[in-house]
Amino acid sequence: MAMYSASIPTYTTSAIADTTNITTQTFVAIQGANTTQRNKITEVYVGGQATSSAPQYLLLARDSTVFSGATSNGVRQAALDGSATAPGSLALTQNVGSTTLPQRSATLSLLNLTFNAFGGIVRWVAAPGSEISIVGNTASLGEVSLSGYTGTTAGLVGAHIIYETV
Amino acid sequence: MSSKRRHEGYILVDHRESPGVPINPAMIGKPDAMLAAPGSLLESATVTCSHCQVVVVLNPLRTRARGYCQKCDRYVCDNPLCNRDCTPFEAVLDRAHERALKGLAVGQVIVP
Repeated sequence: MAMYSASIPTYTTSAIADTTNITTQTFVAIQGANTTQRNKITEVYVGGQATSSAPQYLLLARDSTVFSGATSNGVRQAALDGSATAPGSLALTQNVGSTTLPQRSATLSLLNLTFNAFGGIVRWVAAPGSEISIVGNTASLGEVSLSGYTGTTAGLVGAHIIYETV
Repeated sequence: MSSKRRHEGYILVDHRESPGVPINPAMIGKPDAMLAAPGSLLESATVTCSHCQVVVVLNPLRTRARGYCQKCDRYVCDNPLCNRDCTPFEAVLDRAHERALKGLAVGQVIVP
């Protein structure tokens, strides 16, 4: 089906321990639209925008607690192919959270993106058939988030995650 | 003839105009230390473990054999559990999907 870019132009990261509420507006999360939807992440890009040295220990990880109840959202979603047929429901993307904030799993970290937000760039692209998958919308397979691990220096970054709803 | 390189992803860490990240003194001289030093550009292949979907940055200087599952015909990570049995993560996801379609809790699927 269609591929989408979930992007956030600029936000400030923070250091968050595993299985702790991730501070609002310091993460990007993708969750299935319903209990049966499958999504595949094919690319993650983070570009540093900080004006002084800010090492980032960003983890793309499955969440042991998934977000819910968000009332606003800074993540933009756009189809990569203008003529793509949209699925019935888009995956839920979020950087705010409301009733329940996401919590990163202590064991299901998938990708470590370490770089310095002061002039640094990091980008990961999956091989075809080796994408990171999301199934449904419940923990721990139904949501993946990008957030700063313990030791991260708060810094301004911009990011996008490209995913496909299958 | 297909190559196992078809399973390789790609990672870029660009610190050409950046001070890079602090080097852990304990890692200096260790062959596994894959760091993008200040002013450098790191481009490397990655593989996604077939059994847990962890993404591994390939170290070209590694001499030990890499984990490989003949049943999946894919690389696996260094986690002993991933090297013991063949349980493709795609199968775990399929089971989770099937449970979801039946209205059962997906969280009960065991993730390695």
